This record gives sequence, structure tokens and C-alpha cells, in this order.
Amino acid sequence: MFTLSGIVETLLWGVANGCIYILLATGLNIIFGVMKLVNFAHGQLLMIGAYVAFVASTALGLNAYLAILVAMGAVAVIGIGLERFTFRKVLGTDKLNEIFVSLGLIYVFENAAILLWGNDSQRIVSPYESLRLSLGEVAIGYDRIFGVLIVIAILIALFLLMKKTKIGLAMRATSQKSDTSMLMGINIEKVYIFTFALGAALAGVAGALYGIIFPFNPYIGALPTIKAFAIIILGGLGSIPGAVVGGLLYGIAENTAVYFLGGIWQDAIAFALLIAVLVLRPTGLFGEKGE
Amino acid sequence: MVLAIKESIANTFGFVKNEVVGFSRSRMFYYVLAALAIAAVVPLFTSSYVLSEVLTPMVIFTIYASSWNLLASSGQGSLGHAAFLGIGGFASALLVIKLGIPPIIGLFVGSVFSAVIGLLIGLTCVRLKAWFLGMVTFGFSVIAVTIISQFDAVTGGIMGFRTPLIVERGLPFYYLTFVFAVISVFAIHLIMRSKLGLAFRAIHGNELEAKMNGVNTAKYRLIAFVLSTFFAGLAGGLYAQSIQYIQISIFEPYYSFLPLMICVIGGLGTLEGPIIGSVIIVAIDRYLPGIDSALQFLKPLFPNVSFVGPPLRMLFLGLFLIVIVVFAPKGLTAFIRRAYAYFRGKLVTVKEQ
Amino acid sequence: MVNKKVLGLIVVVILVAAVAVAALQMNLFQPAPSAEARPIKIGLVACYNKAEGQDMDRAAKLAVEEINAAGGIYVSEWHTKVPIELVEVNTEDDTPAKAVSPVTQAVTETGVDLLIGGYTSAGTLANQVVAIEHRVPYIITGASSNLVTRRGPQANYGGLPEGDTRRIDDAEGMSYMFHYCTTTGDYSKTVVNFFAEKMKPLLDDEFGFAESRKLRLAILYRDDAFGKGVVSDSKSLIQSNNLPIEVVAERAYPTTATTFQTDLTAVKAAKPDAVYVVDFIANTAEIIKEGQRDVGLNTVYIAVECCEDPQFYTLLGNYGDKQLLESKFAPYAGPPYYLPMITTYVASYQQKYNTLPGMMGADTYDAFYIAKDAIERAGSVDKAKVRDALESTAMDQMLIMTQTGKIQFSTGTNYHEISAVTFIEQLVWNATLGECRSVIVYPETAPVVGTLKQADFVLPEGYQPGST
Repeated sequence: MFTLSGIVETLLWGVANGCIYILLATGLNIIFGVMKLVNFAHGQLLMIGAYVAFVASTALGLNAYLAILVAMGAVAVIGIGLERFTFRKVLGTDKLNEIFVSLGLIYVFENAAILLWGNDSQRIVSPYESLRLSLGEVAIGYDRIFGVLIVIAILIALFLLMKKTKIGLAMRATSQKSDTSMLMGINIEKVYIFTFALGAALAGVAGALYGIIFPFNPYIGALPTIKAFAIIILGGLGSIPGAVVGGLLYGIAENTAVYFLGGIWQDAIAFALLIAVLVLRPTGLFGEKGE
Repeated sequence: MVLAIKESIANTFGFVKNEVVGFSRSRMFYYVLAALAIAAVVPLFTSSYVLSEVLTPMVIFTIYASSWNLLASSGQGSLGHAAFLGIGGFASALLVIKLGIPPIIGLFVGSVFSAVIGLLIGLTCVRLKAWFLGMVTFGFSVIAVTIISQFDAVTGGIMGFRTPLIVERGLPFYYLTFVFAVISVFAIHLIMRSKLGLAFRAIHGNELEAKMNGVNTAKYRLIAFVLSTFFAGLAGGLYAQSIQYIQISIFEPYYSFLPLMICVIGGLGTLEGPIIGSVIIVAIDRYLPGIDSALQFLKPLFPNVSFVGPPLRMLFLGLFLIVIVVFAPKGLTAFIRRAYAYFRGKLVTVKEQ
Repeated sequence: MVNKKVLGLIVVVILVAAVAVAALQMNLFQPAPSAEARPIKIGLVACYNKAEGQDMDRAAKLAVEEINAAGGIYVSEWHTKVPIELVEVNTEDDTPAKAVSPVTQAVTETGVDLLIGGYTSAGTLANQVVAIEHRVPYIITGASSNLVTRRGPQANYGGLPEGDTRRIDDAEGMSYMFHYCTTTGDYSKTVVNFFAEKMKPLLDDEFGFAESRKLRLAILYRDDAFGKGVVSDSKSLIQSNNLPIEVVAERAYPTTATTFQTDLTAVKAAKPDAVYVVDFIANTAEIIKEGQRDVGLNTVYIAVECCEDPQFYTLLGNYGDKQLLESKFAPYAGPPYYLPMITTYVASYQQKYNTLPGMMGADTYDAFYIAKDAIERAGSVDKAKVRDALESTAMDQMLIMTQTGKIQFSTGTNYHEISAVTFIEQLVWNATLGECRSVIVYPETAPVVGTLKQADFVLPEGYQPGST
């Protein structure tokens, strides 16, 4: 029943799915790390990203991969609006308020998407859809390979941004001690806007990639958000390497569970893993200390 | 520390320090009596639809939201409370069907079962931060639905089944849920006024400080968790009976988010918040669809949807929620209190944070 | 002489007839319409925000417009024709928690005379209870589980054992339920018979397999009542009829799943000759695509009839080429169509909505005419009388073919069910349209219609059989 090529393929699916989780989780983690903000509507930004790329590729006739850039920009702008008009108002009050605002945003985004694009599933047609790279018994689609490459490129760019630029430095400073960094002359408001826009842009890219690989509808955002949270808990709060390793682990665990136990265990096993990690190591695999 | 506790009480539990916001205790008593009288008499004059589809859910969701509210007042936010609603519902119905015990006993045993599961989950996660706990509870609701559908042969959860009733639907069932709701809300009120409640609020106000002052925070958080899951299980048992049917859809995130919405709209951390929130949410849910046909004139603006009403309504519900959290973070209850104070001619400024 | 007499007689007859017709036209023989006359309220139970629900809604509106344009339904008790008033009963996502309340409202507040529709089995099993309790005739056009008419207490209402949680003890109430839809048993039968009769001989022929080699079938299904029903019915049919089919893989996935490559990888490892996909539109299309595109499982996929919807064809694109669809209504297999009525229906549907119709709407459309026929024969909107009239329905088949060519609800052990004809379509890529169209490949003939088959079943390009 289980073959070696099957297992190898399963691991490949795990890595490919993990890449989308990585983008989402990294964005969430940056926002959480810098702003200490919990945005449960982050997956809805992914969903909007998929639709923006869809519109760019159908209405404007752009190549699916160019449409990713459009999605990235558009969702970053939406992110700026969100930060400015909703989250800034509740930041620093009760943590529950952030959850409530996110819940409201979930309703707003999902239903706005339904109104604009309808309930039906859509897909972004990639020009490389039917091309597969054959490696003996195992074969993988070009779109998935491109997806992985794009994610690697983005992570490198992100690393450089955090280490080599002024704004990156400011973000790191703010994430460690926002009061002190304010005293040192960092414009916290600016840092927050940039951080949220960056996180949203990553979600936009994740959405466009999602739309190239999978069909999507207005409801696809909910589960990936929860999974992304599980991943950052798994990897450690605020830790970008943690989000990367956590995302890969999560994608692989999920797909291995499907292969050996059947699809119905997919979500349950992944969450069981999360709970186990939390109980054994409450700060996550890479977290240094709790919040 | 004492000061901090007092402040947190004043901020989140207006009903304890009610003088601050314009209610005196004896007045409070009359208002409660009046509210009870209205809730007891109104059903006699409504149609059977309104009774069983509007008033009864309002009462049941009051219990459910109060259970969530109790947990939240100890600083813990559950995002998977539907797990306990569902466990309570399934356990109480299955016990009656499989073991033949009377439905009323089934309801209690089901609630206790929910609390036992709550204890087990709580043991693993009460040490976690508020939204960590939210994640774990959400994860648990996913695991719970998987287990219930995997053991479909025993639970019958996938197709679902008719639930045995304690009393006939309609007026008798309404009064039954009403009595349970009154007892539950009153019990929660007593808990919140006891030493236990003081500890909860201390943890919510400032966990570190509470800890330093010798409060065993983990223990009290666990107690709050178990109590909350008991009442959620009770609400689940009643809810399954009120819709006469139980199926795994009771575990859906919709039911996990429902008590959040109710508490936020009604007023988080107050006794009457869940009541007012339930009335508003159920009323919106049942009566707002009535404007759908009127909204249909907007159809030309949205060529991709055939019915603009439902998504448009939900969109505004989301905006409503955000507006309340941003501009009235203490819910509509605070508005009512302030309006009351205003009409009494002694406008008291409520310290907002 | 004789001729003259005959001629005279004919003239007299014509004159009398003319006068009678004129009198009828002028309502001379008829009493004035009763003061009680009012529009007939028919509730359409559907999830309006799903593709299937939209199709049902469109079909219902088409039927109601047609009937009302012709004056409405004649109710002899009221001596007049009255229009239909369509009541939308939106069950949202059709989970029991959402599906019951709107039906209760329609029955107890709006006061519908009759209900039509229903989508998932779980939702319908929950909301039909309201109709049963209030004795409202309910023509169920969805819900593939036969339990919707077989959950009563007596032998001829199905008869679930005492203590079964799904049983309804109210036999009288159950008699108001009518199932105008195929059941999981119906379509499983067509599918397994197709594999045994058509596909196995073809494979033996093509690849030189021994007669004793069984056809290797994999089943991939959604983990709910519908998926489980199809799987258990298919397996028991294979066993009881001793068909040369071996189920080599059987995998369920949660209803929330959106991607299936890992399940498909496991299915591929089981080396099947064909894959039976039991799900609704979006997931089925995705499974067929991922199977070919990502997993390289080049086999024959067969989808269930609820995928007969324009969205399915759009989503599949050219991945649908040579794949199979079990169905009972084939708007994509023509024109010309196997039933002339489908031509008219497709034309008016396309004209009004600028798209081809789907399967769920076809049952719904028929159901409105069944309701009209029953109310006119009952001569009343009295619910018990309408129920009796529905029981004795004997109309000609409409958009859905039946085994007898007549629409008749069975009585006895299969209470109030129809026996529909289901068939297998093969999708064929049409480059000019940029979408697949279909041809019926099995069975050869159908009662009344005669020849049904439009083309021979062929294996898809690059088809690989399972292990030998």
C-alpha cells in the first residue's frame, strides 16, 4: 500500500504546502514580534491576495507570476489601512480586543469578497500549469518549484532587510523594547505601519501563490490563519527561523498524517502536535522565553 | 495590589461597584425582578415560532455566553468553546439514547462530562497566555470533531440524530431553559462575588502582581476553566434539544465565535452583557434576513452574487463589531448604564481606558 | 341522405362545441371565483449561496414564471386560477443548526402550502421534521439518502428499528414526504454496473488481462453522510451481485479539505484501474485535476451526478477530457438531446440566465409542475388532499427520465420514491468552446426514450491500468 516513491512525494507536498504556511507565519510573526499584536484575520489577507492576483491575471491579462507583485502591493496598502483605522485604536488595551477586531475583520473581508467575486471557486491560470519535472518515479509541477524558489528569495530579502537596513534595525529595536526605542528617537508609528504593511505583503504573496497552486473561494482564509498561529507557537514567538522550520515541519506532519492515516486526521494530528509541543515546551522549539 | 484589584473591578465589573455607574444595589434588585418578569410573561403572548426559534435560543445562548464570559474574566480567551457546547450536547443526548436514563439526568451528566474534559484540557494549558490558550482550545475543537466523526458508529454524529426532550417543545421547554439560565447566571454572579471571583479578577487585572501576592494563578485559572466548560456543556445539552437535532456541525467555528460576539456586543465581563448580547445577536440572526429582499435592488452593483442580502448583512455585522470594540469597548451595556445615569440627571463620568 | 345526416350532425356538434367553448371562455358556466382565492405559497428550500442552490432558485423562478404566465394553478374549489408565490427558504450552509429555523418560519409564520427542495441529506433529515409535524407536503429534490422517506415506524415507511436515533414515529406525518431525486443506491448501481459490464471487458481486451482479473477500483470520498452512503451502497452492490470488481483503496477526507495530492498519492500506490470520486463540484474537479497534473495518476475518474453543473465544467478545463460523470440530466450532452423537453428547458434557461442549467435545478423545475398537477387534481390547497393527489401522480416524465416513463411515487416498501434512470457521460474536450462537452456512453437504451447511448466509451490518452 505505501511505496517509497509515495513517501517521497508526500514529503514534497509537505514542503510545497509548508512554503505557503511559512510566508503567512513569517508575516504574522513579524507583526507579533514588533507590535505584540494578534491578528486573526491574517488569513483573510491571503484570500484577498489570491483574488487580487486573479483579477490582475484575468482582467489585466498579466502573467500569473507578475500578478504576484500586484497582489503584494495591493495587500500591503490594505494592511496600512487596517493598522491605521482599526488595530492602532486597540493596541495596548486588553489582548481580547485585538481578537474581537480580527473577528470583525474576518466577517468584513469574507463578505466583501463574496459581494465582489461571488461564492464559486476560482483559479489563477499559470502558463506552466501542465509542466512537470520528472525525477524517476516522482514528478513535481513547475508551479510548485517556482513557489518554493519565490519563498526562498523572499526569505533572503527579508533577512537582508532586517539585518542591513535602517528600518530593519528600527523594527528589531522596537520588538525588543518599544519604550526605550521611542526614547532613542525611533518613530514608533512609522515602524508599526511599515511592519504591518510588510506582514500583509507577505500574506498577499502567499495568497497569489495559493491561487496559482490551489482553487480558492472567499472562505479559504480561516484555516491557514489558525495553522500559521500554530506554526509560530511551534517555532517560537517572534523568531523568523522558527517560523520557517515550524512551517516546514507543519506541512510535512500534516501530509504524512494524510498519507499514513487518511485525510480525515490531517487537522487533528497537526493540532495534537501543537498541543504536545506547548505542553512539553511552552515557549516553542526556538523561543527563548515566553511572552 | 489592593488598589489594582479595586481598579480592575471598577473597570470591568461595573455591577459590583455599581454606585460608580449609576445603579444602586436596591434599584438593581428591582431591575432584575422586572427583567425576570418580562422574560417570564412575554412568551405567553408570542407565536410558537417566536417562542422556539427566537426566545428559547436567546435564553440558551445567554447560558453559553455567560460561561465564556466567566472564563474571560479570569483573563483566558477560548476560541474553541464550541467543543464543549458539542460535547455537552452529544454526551447528554447519547447517554439518554444508549443507556436509557431520564433526559434531565442526561443533561447533568453531560454537563459534568464536558467539565471533566475541560479539566483535562485545562491541566495542559491553563499556564498559557490568553491567546495561546485560544489556539489550543481551537485546536481541541478540531480534534473533538474528528474523534466524534471517526467513531460515527457510536456517536452517530455525521448524519446526526434527533435529541430526546426533557419536556415538550414550546412553552414548557422555554420555561425549563429559563429556569436553567436564571440559576446559571445567578450562580456565576455568586462565583464572581466570592473570593474565587476576586482571584479571577486579580489574575485578569495583572497576573504577575497576583502571583507575587501569593495567588496560585494556575489553580484559579483551572477552576475558571472547569466551571466555564460545565456551563458550556449545559448550554450544549439544552441547545441540542432546542433544535431537536444534533450533528457534528455544532463544533463549527461559528459556535466558537458566537459567545465572543455576544459578550463584546453586550459588554465583556459584566453579568448582563451576555443577556443583552444574546438578545441582540439572536434578533439580528432571525429578523435581519427579512430585509434581504429589500436589499436586492443593489444587485446590479454586484453581478457575481445572486443574493446580495446575506453577505451585505454579514459585512455590516463585522463593521458593527469593529466599531463597538473601537468606540465602545465596554459594549452596549456601558451605553445603557450611561444613558440611565444621564436620564437620572446625574451624569457620572465613567473612567474609560 | 346518409351523408347529409352525418353532415348535419357534424355541424350541430361543431356549433354546440363552439357555443360551449365561448361560454367557457366567458365564464358563463362557472361561478364567480371564491373570495378565499389567494396565491399558492410554495417554499423553495435551498442554500442560496451555493452554485447548486442558485441553480435550484433559477429553475424554480423559470417554472413559476411559466406557470403564472399561463394563468397559474386552477383550484376548482375556488373556481379560478391562482398564481404561485415563491417563498425563499434559505438554509445557508445546510447544516442542521441552520437548516431548521428557516423551514420552521416558512411553515409556521409564512404559512406555505407546500415545500420543494432540500440539499444535503443531513440538512434535509433535520428540517423535514418540521414539515412532518405540521403535515406540509414536501417534494424533496435533493438529499441522496433514501432515509428521507424511509425513516418511519412501519414496514411501508421504511421502518427503522426502535431506538434508532433517526426514526420518526409519526407514520401519518411521514406520508407527506415525497422524494423526487435519485438516491445513493441508484447511482452506485449505475456506476458499478458500468465498470463490470463496459470497462472491465474493454480493459481485458486492450491489455490482454485474464477473465479472472477483477477491475481495481479506488474510492475517494468526503467524510459525511453522503460520501459514506455512496461507499457502503457501492460495496454492498459489488458483493451481493458478485461483480468482478475489487475495491483496492478507500480513502475519506474531511469536508473542509481543499487539497488532495497526498490522498491521491496513496491512491496511486494502490494501483487502481479507475477512481470513483464522491464529492460535490469544487472538490471533485480539484481531485481530477490534481490527480492528473500533480500526482500523475493517469486513470479514469468518475464523478457523481451532483457535479452536473456549469461550474464543474469551468473548473475542470481540459483536465476533464475523457473523464466520466454519472448523471440523470445531461444539458452538456446535446443538442440534440435524448428528450425533446430538455431542448426547450435548456433554451429558455440559457436565454434567461446566459448559462447552461445544472442538475439540481432540473429536479426542482419538475417538482413545481408536479405540485401544480397535484393541486389541480386535488382541486384544493388542503394539505391532506394535496398529499393524496401527489400519491396518485401519473404524469409523463419531464426533465428526469424514469424507469416507466411516468412520474409516479412508489408506495409499499419504497415509500414515495421515484425510480429514475441514471447514465454515464464521458466528457470530451472541445477546443472551440474552450470547455468540455459530454456524450452519453452507458447504458445503450432507456425505457420510452429508446437509444440513449451517443458514443462508445474510450480510455483517456495516456491511460495506465493498475497492476496486473
